[in-house]
This record gives sequence, C-alpha cells and structure tokens, in this order.
Amino acid sequence: MNRSNNRGHAPIPTGAKRPWESACLIGLGNVLLGDDGFGPLAIEMFRCAYECGPNIEILDLGTPGLDLAPYLYGANLVVIADAVLAEGKPGTLCTYCEADLLSCRARLRLTAHDPGVQESLAQLRLMDRAPSELIIVGCVPESCELGKNVSPSVWSASSVAADSMARLLMERDVNCRRRRVPLQPNLWWLPRDRCELVASR
Amino acid sequence: MARVSIDPVTRIEGHLRIDVEVDGGTVQKAWACCTMWRGIETILRGRDPREGWVFAQRFCGVCTTVHAMSSVRAVEDALQLEIPANAQYIRNLILIGHGLHDHIVHFYQLSALDWVDITTIPKADPARAASIADGVSNWPGNSHRELEAVQNKVKGLIASGQLGIFSHGYWGHPAMHLSPEMNLILFAHYLQALEFQRKACQVVGILGGKTPHIQNLAVGGVMNAINLNSLATMNMDRLGTLQSLLQDLVPFVQQAYFVDACLLAASYPEWFRYGRGVANYLAVPDLPVDAKATKFDLPGGVIMDGNLGSVRPIQNWRDEAIRAAVAEDVTHAWYKGNGLQKPWQGKTDPDYTDFQENGKYSWVKAPRYNGHPMQVGPVSNVLVGYASGHPLTRKWTDAAFKRISSANGSNVTADDLQSTMGRYLSRAIRSAMLSDLALEHWQLLANNILKGDDTTYNPPQFPAHEVEGVGLHEAPRGTLSHWVVIDKGAFSNYQAVVPTTWNASPRDEKGIPGPYESSLLANPVADPQKPLEVLRTVHSFDPCMACACHTLDASGHEIAQVKVL
Repeated sequence: MNRSNNRGHAPIPTGAKRPWESACLIGLGNVLLGDDGFGPLAIEMFRCAYECGPNIEILDLGTPGLDLAPYLYGANLVVIADAVLAEGKPGTLCTYCEADLLSCRARLRLTAHDPGVQESLAQLRLMDRAPSELIIVGCVPESCELGKNVSPSVWSASSVAADSMARLLMERDVNCRRRRVPLQPNLWWLPRDRCELVASR
Repeated sequence: MARVSIDPVTRIEGHLRIDVEVDGGTVQKAWACCTMWRGIETILRGRDPREGWVFAQRFCGVCTTVHAMSSVRAVEDALQLEIPANAQYIRNLILIGHGLHDHIVHFYQLSALDWVDITTIPKADPARAASIADGVSNWPGNSHRELEAVQNKVKGLIASGQLGIFSHGYWGHPAMHLSPEMNLILFAHYLQALEFQRKACQVVGILGGKTPHIQNLAVGGVMNAINLNSLATMNMDRLGTLQSLLQDLVPFVQQAYFVDACLLAASYPEWFRYGRGVANYLAVPDLPVDAKATKFDLPGGVIMDGNLGSVRPIQNWRDEAIRAAVAEDVTHAWYKGNGLQKPWQGKTDPDYTDFQENGKYSWVKAPRYNGHPMQVGPVSNVLVGYASGHPLTRKWTDAAFKRISSANGSNVTADDLQSTMGRYLSRAIRSAMLSDLALEHWQLLANNILKGDDTTYNPPQFPAHEVEGVGLHEAPRGTLSHWVVIDKGAFSNYQAVVPTTWNASPRDEKGIPGPYESSLLANPVADPQKPLEVLRTVHSFDPCMACACHTLDASGHEIAQVKVL
C-alpha cells in the first residue's frame, strides 16, 4: 500500500483484524446557509486535524440530492456529516446508522433536492453496489439563514464531530491518525472574523 | 415507508408547490409557487468578481457547474475579455459531461417512474423483452440473461413487501400502459444508468479538479496546466483517459437513453397533445468552437407563438436584442417593486404576504422577454435548431421521428415537440447531440494542444469605471443568465435569471401565467387522489427542486397532497 502521504511516520499497525480497504468521508450541506454548512465544515476540521491513508476520500459534496449515488457507488465504509432535524439544543451531535435513516429516525436536512440519500441507497442496493456500512454524524443547527455565519454552538461541535469521525474510523481499523502539526483549515465561505478565529487557535 | 422531508429552507415543503384545480377530469387552473427565497445573489455584492463563481456555484447543489460557468462568462463579458481556445474546449467538455449526467438522471431517476409501472415487471417474459430491445438497439445491456436478473431483483423486492422508495409510485394507475416487457427494459436501464452517471462525473472531475463544485475556472480562462511532458498536468495520458470515458458514455446515450425515450414517446403518443403551455421559446448559443466565441455548436434563437418559421437566431453572446429584452416582473412574487425591471437594475427586497392566488404567491420572479413569458429548456434548444436548419439537430430529431413512426406508424413532426412528451423527447435528442459533440470537442482540444498551444488563461484587467456584463449559458434545464454590474473591481449588483425562473414563473402584471402554469391547463387527471398526469407535465420541465403538488376540487377543498418522487 502506498503510504507516501504519511510523511515518513511509521505506518499505523493494523492489528489482527483486517482493516477496511477504503473509506469515504462526506460533508453535506450548503455552506452559504449558515449552520447548514456543518457537513463541509466538519470534514474540513477532520482533514486538518487528522491524516489518513491514500484510500480514504474526503469529499465536500454540497447538496447533491440524487447526484449522491455516484459517490456512494461501490464504497466500503461511508461516514456522512450533515445538519439533522433532531431533538436537542443546537450543536448537539447525534450518530445514526443506515437503519435509522431508512426507518426515518434520522431526519437529514439534506437539501431541497429531494429525493436524496434514501433513493440513492435503494438504487445502489438493487445493483449490489451499496456501501458496506453507512454512518451519519449529525448536528442540530441553530440557524440556516442565507449568508449567516456558523453559530457558536455548531462551530464548537464541528471539532468534536471531527474527533468522533476519527474514532469511528479507528474503531474500524481504518488508517487514520491525529496530525502532529494540524493544518490550517480552508474555510473560504465564512466571514473573515471566523477565519481569523481559526488562525488564532 | 414514511417519506422524509428533506428541505433545508422550509423544513416541510420543497422549493416548488403546484396547486391545480381539477374539474371534469381536467386541470382548470394552476399556480406554481416556489417556496424558497432565492435571494442568494445578495451575498455576492461587494465581492471580488474573480471569486464570484466560487460562491455562485453554491446557489444550487445539483447544477453547480452551470452557475460557475455563467458567473465567469458574465465578468468576461463585462470586461470584454477573450479566453484562449483551450479554455473554451475544456469548459465545453465540462458542460457536456455535466449535461449528459443531468439528462440521464432526469430521464431514469426523476421521471421514468411516472411512466414505468414496476409492479408489472414480474409478469414480463424476459426472452420477449430481450428480443423487443434487440429489434431497436444494439445496446449490450439488453441480453436475456441481464433482463432476467433485473426481473428477479424486482420479484425479490416485491416479495419482501418492502418496496421502499418505490412504495409511493402510482402503480396500476389507468394512465400507465406500457407492456410488462417494456417496463422491464426501461427499469433495467434505470439501474444501468448509474454506471454512466459516474463516468460523466469522472469527466467533470478530471477537468474540473473536483466534482461537484469544479475548481479549475478563472475569470479569463481555466487553471488547468497543459504540458505534455509533465505527469502532473493535462497530458496525453489524461487526454486518453478522457477520451475513453467519453467513448464509454456515447453508446449508453445513443443506444439506451435515446432509444428508450423514442419507445416511450411511441407508447404514449397522446402526450404529444397535452402540456403545450407557453409557446414562446428561448435558447442561447453554446459550446463555442473558437477562442473569440463567434461560432457555436449549439444554436440559439427565439421562436414566438409556436411559429417555427418565425425563428430569430441569436448569433452570439454579444447579441443586443437579448440584453434589451430580458426583464423581471414581481406583481405576483413576494418582492417589492412595480413593473418590469432589467436584471442589471434588479432588486431583491422581500415582501412576503402568504399564498394569495390573486395576489402574490411565489418567491419566483416573472422573467419576460419583450414582455412575453418564454419557455426554456432542451425543447427550446431543439426547436430553435430544427427551425433554423441546424444539421446536428435535424439529424437526431429526424432519427427520433423515424423511430417513433416505425414503432407505432404515427407521423410526428417538429410542431408536436411543443408538448409534455416533446419536452422528454427533446431532452433525449439534445443528449444524443451532446454525445456526438463530446468526442468532437475532445478532438478540438487534443488538436489544439498537439499544435503546441498550451495557453489557458488571459489575465483580467478591471477598469475604474462601472461596467455591466451578462453571462449566457444553455444549461441542461435551459437558458441561464447571470447579470453583473462591476464597479471599482467589485460587484455592485448581481442577478441570476435561471431556467426554472423562466419556466416556474408566476403570473405577471397582465395576469399571463408562466410555462408550468399554462402547460397544466387541460391536462387530464383521471383520479385527483393520484394526479399522476400533473406530475408528468411538471416533470417534463425537469424542475430543479423538490416539488409538492396539491390538488384542489372546484370547491377549493384540498383533497390530496402529493409529494413528487
């Protein structure tokens, strides 16, 4: 396996269990709609705090609706970060599995491009190309208004969500570890003051 | 399965709500109500025009690419900035990849299940289905074995009692009348379509650096480095990958999608009689074949009152008539203002009143062309091309008519395209055209690179005075225009007039309805509880939105609320 992007660190021991061959981290949401951009924010926080093997894809897919299907096609482990409709204060994180999604326990705020995840999964399942495992890391939004900043509760939750996603990957023996020196997040869509906040951390 | 409401803006409805009044089995009145405020342009004011496209492509999650493209074209138009030939070809290939993807998704995923009754598939004879399919196409996915495997999957799905996403279809509806074999063929292609959507995404990804949300654009060209001797740039290897992806895509479009659309049209010929609606058509030229954008592979033009002989060509993007003609009316939209307003002077001040069928009832403005509502989309593209004698349009349109005629003996003409079925068929015709052009534009790019031209970018210069520009693009859903005003190197105004604004337009100050609204009039509705026919016409426009249809009986009593699948 090509480990060139581990920057010379020793490879992560894979232990006795066979690790997942590949994984895909997907951020969903519209970055222009305040807390709806939780998904892209959380995966950017993850990318900057953790490094992964080359077989891990990190994708900001925005609000793709049915166009999600090509990205889930034949995938192994899929972790989706998204704003969700759930009980709890803004910034509350909730993790769901695919069964929760299909039984409507998880109400994703996934875009106006209805249909989306359910239809994509159903079609992939009929083709025997559905992901082996699908996990959703959801966050309760405070405000999804146009051009608004991410609210403080969701902002704090995004780093916690990055850690949860890393834990989910590590529990499944996916090649993933915390960076010694974190990268600077590229949050081009946020107003300047938020970017400066990141710089000063 | 209960449906999940997926909508970040209202949490209940999608962007579009259609209200129809049904009496005597047909639609008498219709309202198209967009429930989402699309004031997203406001966040572009004051921004650097060089980065506008990065924000503009987040307007919408599905049509990301088209907004990025219109945004850079608008700024280039304002600056009168030419872009290099390589940049045109790379942009064109991205637009073709996106367009093919979009049309395939529309036909198989967003609309096929309005026509295909999957619950009859277990009754099909796969051998007979294979022979029907073989008789009209040499698509390799039509084998007896393949179709039998699909049939077994559907049998398993039905036996499980959990139709899942398919549980909301209007199965057994009297307006569904394809044979079990035809249903099986179309459903098999619905499943196969995903492979080809992926390939189209890969084309966009290789050229755009990322998909969705391409990263390679710049005001002045593209940021793709071309160096045949480098591993990291556009080189022969990457050109080869692109070519083989395109070569894989073409047969699916021409032998599966195009053939299926013709079979569908031949099986439902009555739908050439419904859904005409606004018979004014607008398409803009696209896929320029030279750096200066003087010649185009997709023709543009205007047709009024359904009279194909009246076509007025739009030769290029500098066309003065379109700049002067486009204006928006907000009489029935939830915005402040009176009369027609030019996009460059356009304002977006909300004035929400609740749904008032004789007052304001939609967040969509009413765009007008010299005061007239216009229909946009592949049907406009095809009608304009056909009427002006464009050879590629004629080739595929005539091929479609021939197929329909040999299937059911009817004589379909270009005038019949002005209908619900015409919109479906035009989208397939346009896809077949795009699939021919995909390889041609690949060749244009390869030839230009091999000639030694590696330029992809001309740097922009911003004047100190105010300038205006419009970025035109014939997107999968029709004519898209971004209107920008730039002052001292920043946007001072930004308005997007999108295809769905034209088609989903509410009434204007004269009370004239938009294309969705007028196309629904006289549509049959066999069962108001199951207004499948309304969905067929609404879906024929490929609305880029979640859509909820309400059916009202003449007393105004709401009797059904239907979520569009």
